[in-house]
Amino acid sequence: MKFPTTRRGALLSMVAGAAVMLALPALAQDVTITFWGSYGNGGNSTQQDALNNTLIPAFEAAHPGIKVQYVDVPYDSLLQKLTTSAAGGELPDLVRADLGWVPQFAKLGVLVPLSDAMADFQELADKTYPGVLATNLYKGKYYGLPLDTNTRVLVTSQEALDAAGLSAPPATFDELKASAGKLKEAGISVFADGGLGAWNIMPWIWSGGGDITDPELTKSTGYLDSAQNVATIQMLVDLYNAGQIPNLIIGNQGATGTSDGLPSAEYANIFDGPWMAGIWKDQYPDFTPIYASVPAGPGGSVSVVGGEDIVVTASSPNQEAALEFVRFTQSELFQVEMVKTGQMTVLPAYAEQQNAIAPFYATFAEQLKTAKNRLAISSASKVDGILNTELTAAFKGEVSVQDALTKAAGQIDALLAEENS
Amino acid sequence: MTDLVREQSSPTLVRHPTSGVSHGVGAGMQPWRTYLTPALFVAPGFLIYTVFVLCPMVQAVLMSVFDYKVVAGAVSTFIGATNYIRAFHDEHLWLSLSNSGIYMLFTVPPQIALGLGVALLLQHKSPAQPFFRVLYYLPVVTSWVVVTLLFKYLFADRGLINYLLGLQVSWLSDRWTAMVAICALGVWKGIGWSMMIFIAALQGVPNSLIEAAKIDGAGPWQRFWSVTIPAIWPTMAFITIMLVIGGLNVFTSVQAMTDGAPGGSTDVVLTYMYRTTFSFLDFGYGSTIAVLLTLLVFALSAIQLRVFRNEATA
Amino acid sequence: MSKRVSPADALRLVTLAIGALVMITPFLYMVSTSFKAQQYVLKIPPQFIPDPATLSNYERVLVRGDFGQYFLNSLFVAVTATAIAVLLSAMMAYGFARYRFPGREWLFRILLLGLMIPALMLIVPQFVLAKWLGLIDTLWGLIVFYVAGNLALNTFLLRGFFQALPQELDDAMQIDGANAWRRFIGLALPLARPALATATIFTFLATWDEYAWALTSITSPENKTLPIAVALLQGPRGTQWGLVFAASIIAILPVIAVFLIFQRHFVQGLTAGAVKG
Repeated sequence: MKFPTTRRGALLSMVAGAAVMLALPALAQDVTITFWGSYGNGGNSTQQDALNNTLIPAFEAAHPGIKVQYVDVPYDSLLQKLTTSAAGGELPDLVRADLGWVPQFAKLGVLVPLSDAMADFQELADKTYPGVLATNLYKGKYYGLPLDTNTRVLVTSQEALDAAGLSAPPATFDELKASAGKLKEAGISVFADGGLGAWNIMPWIWSGGGDITDPELTKSTGYLDSAQNVATIQMLVDLYNAGQIPNLIIGNQGATGTSDGLPSAEYANIFDGPWMAGIWKDQYPDFTPIYASVPAGPGGSVSVVGGEDIVVTASSPNQEAALEFVRFTQSELFQVEMVKTGQMTVLPAYAEQQNAIAPFYATFAEQLKTAKNRLAISSASKVDGILNTELTAAFKGEVSVQDALTKAAGQIDALLAEENS
Repeated sequence: MTDLVREQSSPTLVRHPTSGVSHGVGAGMQPWRTYLTPALFVAPGFLIYTVFVLCPMVQAVLMSVFDYKVVAGAVSTFIGATNYIRAFHDEHLWLSLSNSGIYMLFTVPPQIALGLGVALLLQHKSPAQPFFRVLYYLPVVTSWVVVTLLFKYLFADRGLINYLLGLQVSWLSDRWTAMVAICALGVWKGIGWSMMIFIAALQGVPNSLIEAAKIDGAGPWQRFWSVTIPAIWPTMAFITIMLVIGGLNVFTSVQAMTDGAPGGSTDVVLTYMYRTTFSFLDFGYGSTIAVLLTLLVFALSAIQLRVFRNEATA
Repeated sequence: MSKRVSPADALRLVTLAIGALVMITPFLYMVSTSFKAQQYVLKIPPQFIPDPATLSNYERVLVRGDFGQYFLNSLFVAVTATAIAVLLSAMMAYGFARYRFPGREWLFRILLLGLMIPALMLIVPQFVLAKWLGLIDTLWGLIVFYVAGNLALNTFLLRGFFQALPQELDDAMQIDGANAWRRFIGLALPLARPALATATIFTFLATWDEYAWALTSITSPENKTLPIAVALLQGPRGTQWGLVFAASIIAILPVIAVFLIFQRHFVQGLTAGAVKG
């Protein structure tokens, strides 16, 4: 919002709320740009502090006349607040958007296509990881730049390996299958995950040599229901039926979560992101996770891109200032400072520095080189629902894997047709 | 549904002699003077209600017949009943509705029975009375997030429920067992609410009637059925109607407990509506779901009022 | 009255105590967790007595952030909204209960519709309206919508109580020359005290806990209310539950205080029988 932050204890002055609003244009000597995100969520304020105490002051010092106000919004409700604000024409200038939201908001027409608005867009874009950059693409235009990124790698418990007499995390699908029996004897699940959405299942599908649609995003039938995908999913379903993957994967909220099951050696392997390191350090100080690449299948070792993008809203009255801040987020200062707080850089150029700050990032940075983006369509969240519902039926044995994938592909076809119409 | 208005939820008397009686309506009075007083009582609240609830409600209904574009200034196209036709063919909506219905059916009677039971036990004056009232009211004020987290613990695979019952059930992995957990949470959290209203209503049961029944030789059980229940019957109607509305509108607990998992099978109408609206950004269809639910709830309330009125006069 | 506890009373107390235990266990668990350090929070099986216990969660909630400011905002909003909503509802309920006028039935039906539509669906139109009226991101913007949103339930609840009040007293006061407003203030309100107390307790809880509209409408940090502040303690990747629970407990205290203050009126309310007798 455009209210000055200096009004403390402003209980009574709220009465004059409307009057303050009217008086605002007179106050606006400097340009103030607002920036919504979820940096400070979860009771850990290191990222928000870095932003407010280091980065924004540095930006303001370099750009006299521009003030930046960061507003922290609960992540679970950010999408709701953004859409409602769009309805009222009250969007902020900048948003740190979950990468899945970019096509959604681009479709609504509330974002500035940066590839049109920034003369130096290509120059900035070329420096980022391609899989990460791709999350900003919607119908031929880029609507944002990567802000921070992450991916899922294989995380393994040494204790579980020892219990089953194994020496190393599984590097391939075959090694994974082979280790499952030994782990089962020790009462340990070979792999656990918390769902069957794209974030969960795409690393398997891509590594298995399959995909969900054609590269042009026009058709899912013939891709999602391919023989490779049937084989990949069947492998997981077989492990599930053998009791080697727990029913956490079909959404049993009562099963031990991956973040607890791995350190307690209930699960041998999970896929997870770089943020878990800090959480485990707090909750399981004795646990040392082993990070490795996603097990390779016929398609190699390919994981899924996660993270956030920065976007500029079309309704922003201060577009130039906002774009200037977008450029600032791609700077070494911004990226490296955020690495220190647990965010991964989107620029391979700073990977070295990143590894020096936290060596375990190296596996993630390596995986990111080949990691791919999920479907960049406005109805991507529906795809998650479809995959979850249809694959759950296959895991429960209600339908065959082939039928589940065919049915899911048919529904995704309809979404793609809608998208392209 | 004229009975919505005629049937009263008076907490103290079965036959309220004052119902519908107007005051100051002398034969020779000017009509405008007659209506000025009630208008002054009703108008301020109703005006605020009209501006801040009713108008938005009308707009929400309008959204359902448009391909609604949420962004300010965007043009939405009129699509008539398209969304409603879609709704009737939407299997997931029917599944969600059946879950909401199940939730309502299995949470409303226990909340009434237990709420009334506790209220009756707390009727006797004693130093412990306010203390117990607070304890029973605590679940109502404890935040949904916190109690849901705790119920997830209780119903976890290695949770307390399995431990106590000696079971190995994955409660939250299946539609029906997950609904058990969700309903248990709903009842537990709701008892204090109905208890409160029953306590207030029981204050109004005329002592003279109870004493008279005692003199006639009625036992406690008889007194309960023939004096207390008729006396709080309108309150019963109020609580039942409110709980049915609340039951069909169940949202927060399901969202926090399963959010539809596994595979959308525990979705209720409002979790489905929320996802449609704020995750898929399909505002038109989200409104359609809301309008259909409102109509259903309205019809059910009308039926309940009729039933409660007939019972009262029977 | 005898000081000895009768067997029936003993049974009653034991039943109440067992029930109360079931009802408050989650709350006790919340209290216990608020005194735990992060690494002990999600341990399975749950640990009921914090060991080691720590005050650090409370310290962090109270010292860091502007929790005091949020608390005051919530208090101002909830107290104001509750007072206005209960007064306006009582007036409406009295009007509906005691007078006959054209369109009365229709108006009441329309009012009841407000109980039935999912509040979530109104958020977008309400936001557009609030913007038009300049109410976005102000505490008064919260108050106005909270008042409007609580009118239907309270009116429905209170109307029944007013209808049940003995007609004779009302008539007597009218003969004494008291006008409608004085009869309302001097007779109806005091007699409906148990119902008013119930309405106050419910409305205060509803406005104190409201999240969806506050989140949508409020953006400035200095206007935030407690539910937003508590929600911010939860993160998509890891939540410090000890902090959330400590904050929740601080947030519950005023609700319990309001309950304790107003529940006394349940007993003090005059019963219809007593009035007649």
